[in-house]
Amino acid sequence: MSIRRVMTLARRVMRQVLRDRRTVGLLVLAPMLILTLGAILFRSELAAIPLGVVNEDQGLTSPIIGDLQLGQRITDELAANKIFSLVELNRDEVDERLSDGSVQGVIIFPEDFSVKFQENRQAVLDLRLEGSNPTRSMTIIARVTEAGMKTLAGLVETGFGMLGSPQTGEREATLPVSVNASYLFAGEEFDMMDFVAPVYVAFLALFFVFLLACVSFLRERTQGTMERLLATPAMRVEVVLGYMLGLGLFALIQVAVILFYTVWALKIHYLGSLGLLFLVIALLAVVGVNLGILASAFARNEFQVLQFIPLVIFPQVLLGGTFWAVSEMPKYLQPFAYIMPVYYANQALRDVMLKGWGLLEIWPNLLMLVGIAGVLILLGALTMRREVA
Amino acid sequence: MDAVIETHELHKHFGSIHAVDGVNLSVKPGEIFGLLGPNGSGKTTLIRLLIGLLKPTSGSVSLLDQEMPNKAILAQVGYMTQASALYEDLTVRENIAFFAELCGGSDKAMMDEIIQLVDLQDRSHSLVRTLSGGLKQRTSLACSLVHSPRLLLMDEPTVGIDPQLRANFWDYFRQLTERGVTLIISSHVMDEAERCNRLGFMRQGRFLAEGSAAELRSQAGTSSLEEAFLCFAEGSIKGGRA
Repeated sequence: MSIRRVMTLARRVMRQVLRDRRTVGLLVLAPMLILTLGAILFRSELAAIPLGVVNEDQGLTSPIIGDLQLGQRITDELAANKIFSLVELNRDEVDERLSDGSVQGVIIFPEDFSVKFQENRQAVLDLRLEGSNPTRSMTIIARVTEAGMKTLAGLVETGFGMLGSPQTGEREATLPVSVNASYLFAGEEFDMMDFVAPVYVAFLALFFVFLLACVSFLRERTQGTMERLLATPAMRVEVVLGYMLGLGLFALIQVAVILFYTVWALKIHYLGSLGLLFLVIALLAVVGVNLGILASAFARNEFQVLQFIPLVIFPQVLLGGTFWAVSEMPKYLQPFAYIMPVYYANQALRDVMLKGWGLLEIWPNLLMLVGIAGVLILLGALTMRREVA
Repeated sequence: MDAVIETHELHKHFGSIHAVDGVNLSVKPGEIFGLLGPNGSGKTTLIRLLIGLLKPTSGSVSLLDQEMPNKAILAQVGYMTQASALYEDLTVRENIAFFAELCGGSDKAMMDEIIQLVDLQDRSHSLVRTLSGGLKQRTSLACSLVHSPRLLLMDEPTVGIDPQLRANFWDYFRQLTERGVTLIISSHVMDEAERCNRLGFMRQGRFLAEGSAAELRSQAGTSSLEEAFLCFAEGSIKGGRA
């Protein structure tokens, strides 16, 4: 054992690492990028959740306190809460507005809302929710309940408590505010895993295919066969398409296995057609192959391929709407989502799995994936020119 | 057809480096033309320019009467790179078949003939990964020959192989010329050059001299090609390169 030899080796290793400037830069910058994105997303004030209000409450006139418009009172309380932006709606447009995403939930006060409250000593809030995102559904229910409680507490202070106070013994059984939630899509039996599963599946398909394509194409460049290929009548686009088909087959097998396992073994809930899910994920896999080919042009060795994970893959997970809905991200981050293939796949997959939508509804997202794949194929072919010239 | 290869005032600059600096080359059918010069003299760049892998800074190249770059004509051109460029995870036969298919397909008889020519019958089903350097080089040669090219460009095909194999390679080359194939061979080994029909001495991207080995020797007044090369190289330095 010689310290000197160890030091000699250590010095050589350090020298080599330092010579690869990109690696050194990445060691410092990549964690900062990921941490910054995480901090922004975790800390940012989420954009207000659009909440519809259908207020048909006729109110009541009490001999003791005068007029009570309980529906209006709760609405005012909700309006004061920054988490919601309220939209007034009519009863017959509720589902339509939920479906197109312009509101995430709707609170409905029927005509006899105030009267019922007086009779039952309980405010029963009808809440219609979009339902595909369980976390958001829970947030809405919790915040709406909170607003209801606050409003009632306010009534006690103004002396309305007399009216609101329960007859003997009843209070223990029921809270003064209860929420009667119904869901347009998915619903209560869908949990967080059901919400995350579609994008999990998408991410896995993209990730492995990306690495596979990136490494095999890199090998083609480093072992010199790329130069030989280009000295045959084969065109660059033909080479890229050949890779896409060759690796695509394995990607499809992988996608089928992932999908099968998710649905049958992990018992993930889903509504739409499995075939359509397969199509969406397969398209994303095709994007992954071409992204890998393109990225391989910027890697000198396998190690540098691994460096693409924090640069290319992680941001897609953070910004592509996997855990944070893109519409709720800070405005300046949103444009990044729109250039990420994962974003379109996520949307399509959730629409199919959680809303049961079909090709007719999700085709714009599929079209974007096809478009992105096309652009990547062309860019991949262009980088091959860079390689030989 | 007068010439298989014709270049006119060919230049290729990489920044301030003039890798190929005004080459006028004309190679006749059935010739073995040797590009001779030290490492870094521009041989590889010239070959890559000829086959269209590089775009000339100025000047023109035509192969088989076609202006380059021309993808279609490449089906009639063979190219052997300096290091053997093969798919390590495929067998010898699979590699050869792959390049044959890219150049328009090949029948089994042709494949067998080529494998026999480079004497790889016994190893044709071995993975390239398991082959020695010399066997890889032979496989590489087979890949560049399998589509029966009319023109074969080879970048230092005999570098790093043993004398026996080198002699074999030259046998193959002669057999090819008998079939009317034109060969361009680059080398920095002077004794090989004797076997070429014609030679071009290359230095700093230019041809110093051109002709058969005997012509070059007598022009320089030396007894060996090596001395002749040094003589021409010195002359070019004295003459200056404005």
